[in-house]
Amino acid sequence: MAQYQNLFTRVQVRGPVYAGVPMTGSNWTRSGKPYFLHFFGVLGDAQVGPIYLGATGVASLICGFIAFEIIGLNMWASVNWDPVQFLRQLPWLALEPPAPGTGLRLPPLNEGGWWLMAGFFLTASILLWWVRIYRRARSLGMGTHVAWAFAAAIWLYLVLGFIRPLLMGSWSEAVPFGIFPHLDWTAAFSIRYGNLFYNPFHMLSIVFLYGSTLLFAMHGATVLAISRFGAERELEQIVHRGTAFERGTLFWRWTMGFAATAESIHRWAWWFAVLCPLTGGIGILLTGTVVDNWYLWGVKHGIAPTYPPVWGPVVDPSLVPGAPR
Amino acid sequence: MNHGIRLAFGLLGIVAAVLVTIVVLLSFDRPPITAVQRGFRGVGMEQVYNPREVATYLAANQPPELIPSLGDDGPRASEIYENVQVLGHLSEGEFTRAMLAMTAWVAPEQGCTYCHNPENMASEELYTYKVARRMIQMTQHINADYQPHVAETGVTCHTCHRGQPVPEYIWFNEPPASNAAGMLQVSSGQNKATPLVNNSSLPSDPLTPYFEGAHSIRVQGDTALPTSNRHSIKEAEWTYALMVHFSQALGVNCTFCHNSRNFGDWSQSSPQRVSAWHGIGMTRDINQNYLKPLQDVFPDYRLGPTGDVAKVNCSTCHQGVYKPLFGVSMLADYPEFRGPERQATPASAATPAPVLVPAPLLIVPVPAPLLIVPAPGVGPTPTTPPQ
Amino acid sequence: MAMLTFEEKYRVRGGTLVGGDLFDFWVGPFYVGFFGVTSIFFALLGTLLIIYGAAIGPTWNVWQINIAPPDLSYGLGFAPIREGGLWQVITICAIGAFVSWALRQAEIARKLGMGYHVPVAFGVAIFAYVSLVVIRPVLMGAWGHGFPYGIMSHLDWVSNTGYQYLHFHYNPAHMLAVSFFFTTTLALSLHGALVLSAANPPRGEVVKSAEHENTFFRDTIGWSIGTLGIHRLGLFLALSAGFWSAVCIIISGPFWTRGWPEWWGWWLNLPIWK
Repeated sequence: MAQYQNLFTRVQVRGPVYAGVPMTGSNWTRSGKPYFLHFFGVLGDAQVGPIYLGATGVASLICGFIAFEIIGLNMWASVNWDPVQFLRQLPWLALEPPAPGTGLRLPPLNEGGWWLMAGFFLTASILLWWVRIYRRARSLGMGTHVAWAFAAAIWLYLVLGFIRPLLMGSWSEAVPFGIFPHLDWTAAFSIRYGNLFYNPFHMLSIVFLYGSTLLFAMHGATVLAISRFGAERELEQIVHRGTAFERGTLFWRWTMGFAATAESIHRWAWWFAVLCPLTGGIGILLTGTVVDNWYLWGVKHGIAPTYPPVWGPVVDPSLVPGAPR
Repeated sequence: MNHGIRLAFGLLGIVAAVLVTIVVLLSFDRPPITAVQRGFRGVGMEQVYNPREVATYLAANQPPELIPSLGDDGPRASEIYENVQVLGHLSEGEFTRAMLAMTAWVAPEQGCTYCHNPENMASEELYTYKVARRMIQMTQHINADYQPHVAETGVTCHTCHRGQPVPEYIWFNEPPASNAAGMLQVSSGQNKATPLVNNSSLPSDPLTPYFEGAHSIRVQGDTALPTSNRHSIKEAEWTYALMVHFSQALGVNCTFCHNSRNFGDWSQSSPQRVSAWHGIGMTRDINQNYLKPLQDVFPDYRLGPTGDVAKVNCSTCHQGVYKPLFGVSMLADYPEFRGPERQATPASAATPAPVLVPAPLLIVPVPAPLLIVPAPGVGPTPTTPPQ
Repeated sequence: MAMLTFEEKYRVRGGTLVGGDLFDFWVGPFYVGFFGVTSIFFALLGTLLIIYGAAIGPTWNVWQINIAPPDLSYGLGFAPIREGGLWQVITICAIGAFVSWALRQAEIARKLGMGYHVPVAFGVAIFAYVSLVVIRPVLMGAWGHGFPYGIMSHLDWVSNTGYQYLHFHYNPAHMLAVSFFFTTTLALSLHGALVLSAANPPRGEVVKSAEHENTFFRDTIGWSIGTLGIHRLGLFLALSAGFWSAVCIIISGPFWTRGWPEWWGWWLNLPIWK
């Protein structure tokens, strides 16, 4: 017999638009006349807007737009401004960082200078957005947990594009802007540094990546399974536990012997998600600076398995006297 | 949202679903596939093939019809003909057969006059005459001095030319990318879809630095902690591009030579990697010492966009197969191309060439459908007993 | 063992799929059920076999222990125990344990009057595992295509299997899966942070409400998905990550044998542009 699983909202209730909780300490007022989108209401909340623009918000969008344009126009120029080729080759196009010989000097615009400029504006945009996130929480009298989670992601971003290239003494170590090219960089990074699977911080980061996915599947599924008792009203369930989270808690206690609570599950969630970019950034930072070949590091620390030999001994032919390299 | 918009979205969804289905059905392969294990079980060093594709390659890599021997007795060619500098040690019969073979392998449509003036066969007036002489020397050099790569199988003109005056898989230097707006970024030699590197955005011309020049290919360090290795990630991308070319040219994947947990470690690599190392040296040798010096001999229409001579890479001989012609040795039937000191017995009593896949490729006996082996009855007959 | 303060009223009989009242009891905090028995059986047997595999191997170093699948030459048959057969039995135990666990979750959900979302979600993860060790090997004609059971050795397998396709990042389903993994982590950080920020305001503030949660996201990005929607979204993102991961490995080999970048040729060579 078919049963409603609460995956999509079948009947949407409409009340008046909600203008938002009163703000404190903010210079702007909210903009835009809020409206309803039925399509959004099928999945979640139907109301769109109002939005708080704000000084940092507008500045962030402007910087971001500048970075976007620098990247896009350089990509377009690389196909000689042909609009058809731009669309056709877009996934392959890129804005490259300076070449290895440049070190940390400022290169000419057309030899990596644009990349530095785009990186600067993108970083400015991201940092301004961080300030926005922080301020909006304070203005509503809420904790700043979202901002600090965002900070972990910014840590990884800065490590990849700024801190590590600085420590390595070369902008060329940074990641290019481009869909496929940044994947080439990722593969080349692992090839150059002896297979990143052997980097313990890479292992940790993946544990937290897969763990976050596991946790959200668990938490999302649990709340949906008890949504018939109003489980999605998590704040209410935190301050005044109802049958929804009682059942949810017992589900996991009976399954695996222990369980989180309505509040603590969100702490598990926050830490798993935040530790993914945090440990990942550490792993990237240690690569090349402290460790040059992660597989050999693994051998040194006794974690690399040995396999029975399949061929006879294979020897580096360049070591034979008189051989070219 | 009104009914009209919902209808529009619905139609759009159906169109999108149909397009995705078409792409999926037309672009992918299907089982059954053939897999060859090359490392210890569970390590993941395997070759994976689509047997229908392999059949196509098999059909395209059959050696040409054998030209029967014309006898090895009598005076030497240098005594009979003028201006025979390289093949003078051959008998008249062998010499004639060599000429017939070269015509069939390089200029079957064009015939003898592709290289010769029929009024004066000894004349070097056609550029092809001089090029051909140098090519014969090159062939002999490969067969004599690059046994670690070509073994006893060797090469002949057919290996590259396959019945065409210009081999299908040659390469030229890329012209410098034109940049319409000079202020915007100059080309870094990558970030465009390039068939040579499997349609990735890796550097598009790894051949110039590694096959024309002698840039170091190795980028990994051999110590856990940083010591002297100063190679950049960019260099790793260039090496990667070269390796992708190797893979495409030979129809193999990276694990044919490497255990990717440590690409650089020779003790974890296959013997084929040593052969490849020699192949790199051979390719550089051919390009630097045989092809580039011919730049002034070739007419302009045979040169590349920057005026450079055509050069070879792995595809020139391998043409998508792990051993050219699947390891069938034409040299066994045409020992004229070994060179004077290497020429063994006449063609009629040549030792059978190793036709089947030799031991180092197969670690584990794989059941019958090993489709990279030429079917019996195909390939050069009389001199080669069926296997 | 002590129950939680509110637990007793929920410990009722019923909800079982198999076995009726026979296994309908708890051991400490753990619910047993028929599938609890099968879970313990398969998990214990599988674990002991892994330990046995370590014992007949060269090392007890937990990072280096390796239980390898059979050679490809055994095809889809049974291999000798020491030549990959052990891997095969352990795989059967794993599937038995995982499926038992999911069915046990279904029984617990039924007893608590909950929906089946959790065991269904776990089923997607089981599907991903089964696609790696059963579906893809069957499509390729040999159990030896499964991944070895070992902490570092399974990573060596991943690395080499990826390089069989020259540049695995270009696998379109892999791109989808990776994007879903990163988006899930992003969404989880946002959801965890949002709830905590409402329930843990600065000193002097009162605990906030769902209106504050919605307002925060409307202020920052113009739209809030809402308390119910975020759980739907989170489940969808997480299950999509697992699903597309399974797809990306099933197509590698059975449905594609060349380098993955080459697949994009269909886009580059569309008739609408030269």
